[in-house]
Amino acid sequence: MATLSSLLEYYYETMQKALLPLEEERKRIVKKLQTTAFYIVLGVIVFFIVLHKQMHFSPLQASVFSVMSGFLIFIFIYRYEKAGFTAVFKDQVIEKLLYQIDASLIYRKESFIGEQEYRRSELFLEAYDRFEGSDLVSGSIANVDVRFSFLHTQQKERDSKGRERLETIFQGLFFCADFNKAFKSKTVVLPDVAERSLGVLGTWLQGMNGTRGSLMKLDHVEFEKVFVVYGDDPIESRYILSHALMEKIVLLQRKINQPIYLSFVASRIYIAIAYTKSLFEPILTRSLLEFSYIKEYFELLNTAVGIVEELKLNERLWSKR
Amino acid sequence: METFLIIGGALLFIFIVLYNTLISKKNQVDNIFAGLDAILKKRYNLIPNLVATLKEYMLHEAGTFEKITSLRSQALQPSLNAHDKMTLDKELSSMLSSLMVTVENYPVLQANENFLHLQHTLHEVEEQISAARRAYNQSVTDYNNALEMFPINLLAGFMRLEKKEVLRIDVAERENVNVKNLFR
Repeated sequence: MATLSSLLEYYYETMQKALLPLEEERKRIVKKLQTTAFYIVLGVIVFFIVLHKQMHFSPLQASVFSVMSGFLIFIFIYRYEKAGFTAVFKDQVIEKLLYQIDASLIYRKESFIGEQEYRRSELFLEAYDRFEGSDLVSGSIANVDVRFSFLHTQQKERDSKGRERLETIFQGLFFCADFNKAFKSKTVVLPDVAERSLGVLGTWLQGMNGTRGSLMKLDHVEFEKVFVVYGDDPIESRYILSHALMEKIVLLQRKINQPIYLSFVASRIYIAIAYTKSLFEPILTRSLLEFSYIKEYFELLNTAVGIVEELKLNERLWSKR
Repeated sequence: METFLIIGGALLFIFIVLYNTLISKKNQVDNIFAGLDAILKKRYNLIPNLVATLKEYMLHEAGTFEKITSLRSQALQPSLNAHDKMTLDKELSSMLSSLMVTVENYPVLQANENFLHLQHTLHEVEEQISAARRAYNQSVTDYNNALEMFPINLLAGFMRLEKKEVLRIDVAERENVNVKNLFR
C-alpha cells in the first residue's frame, strides 16, 4: 500500500506535468459540449416552431418532440466525446496511480471479473439481465492472488404502468482472493438491513430466509449489529469468521462506509463493495490539476489493494501454505 | 362442534411446531457437540506423533509426556459423558500449551521438519476447536433461551428437558490465535 504523502510527491513532481495535455483535451471537450449544447438549444427552438407552425403539432407535442430529439443528439455526442477521453484518462491516471501503489499489479481497463466468478460468490442470487464491468486489476499482493474490478449487474423489471426498466442488483467494486484458511462449506456475510430497521422481527425474518442456508448468530456484538451471516456449517463459519477477522471486517466497513458484502466459498473470499456511481470514470467538469480529484481515485485503488493487509489474508494457516 | 375442532386443530398445530422447535434445537446442540468431538479426536490423533518426536529431545519432560498420554487415553474412552470429556480436554489443552512454551528452550526442535509440521497442524486444529466451542455455545444459548420462553417452558418441563451448560472460553482463546507468533 502506498501512502498519501508518496502520492502527493509523485503528483506534483511527475504526474501533474504529464496531465497537462490531457487537461487541455478535457477543456476542449467541455468547450465543445457547451457550444454543442448552445446550438442544440437553438435547433430545438427552430424545430419546435417548425413542428408547431408548419406541421400543426400542438404546443405540448411539439415541445416533447423537439426537446427529446435535442436531448438524444446531445447525449450521443456527449457519450462519443467522453468515451475517447475516458480511455486516455484510464491509461494516464488510473494505470499510473495503480503503478504507484503496487507496480507488480496488472491493469486492464476493458476487462472485468467474469460472470462465473460472480455467480460462484453467491453474493447476489437475483438473476441478472445485464452484466457489465471494467478496470480489472489482477496480481499477487503479499503472495495472495487477487483480482478486482468494477462491476454493474442489472435486471429487467416492470413498473406499475407496465414499462420495462433496468434495476441495479449490484454496482461497485468486486474483489476476489485466496483465503488464508482451507474450508469446504459456504458462508455469506451481508449488510444487516432487516435487524437494524425491524429489530427482533427482522432477526426472525432473516431466519426464515431459506435460500441462503442457516442464519448464524455470532459472538461479536459490533459485527452482529452491522452484518447478517448465513452458512452451511456452523463450525466452519466460525472457523472462517474468527474474532480477529470479524474485528477487521467491522473496521473495514467503518473505513469504507459503503455497504459491504462478503462470501467465503471453496477456500476463496469474495468482497463486493456497493457504490451508487461508476468507479474509475472521469468527471468532465473537474480539473485534472486538482489534487483532491486525483486523490479520490488513489484512495479507492489503495483501499482495494489494501484489503489483503487489512484482513490479513497473507497470514496463512498451515494447510494453505 | 366445528369451533371445537378448529380450536383443537390449532392447538395441536401449535403443539407440533413448539415440540419440533425444541427437538431441532436439542439436536442442533448434539450435532455441534459431535462436530466438536470429531475435531478433538483430530487433536488426540496428533498426540502420539508429537510425543514421540519431542521425547527424543526433551528428556526432562518424561513426566509431562506420560501425563499427556494418559489424558489422551482417558479422553478416547467411549463411555465418557460430555462434561468429563470437556474437563479432560481442558486439562490436556493447558498441558499442551505449556509444553509448547517449553519447546522454545530447545532450538534444535525449531529446525526439525517433522516437529514443525506437527506444531502447525496442532495450531490449526486448535483454531478449529475454538470455532467448534463457539458454535456449541451459541447452540446451547439458543436451546436454553427456548427452554425459558413461554409456552415452550411448559412443554420442556413436560418433556423433562433441562438446560445445558455452555463451555467456558478463555479470553486468550477469544482473542484468536496470532499467526505471526505461531510461525516464528
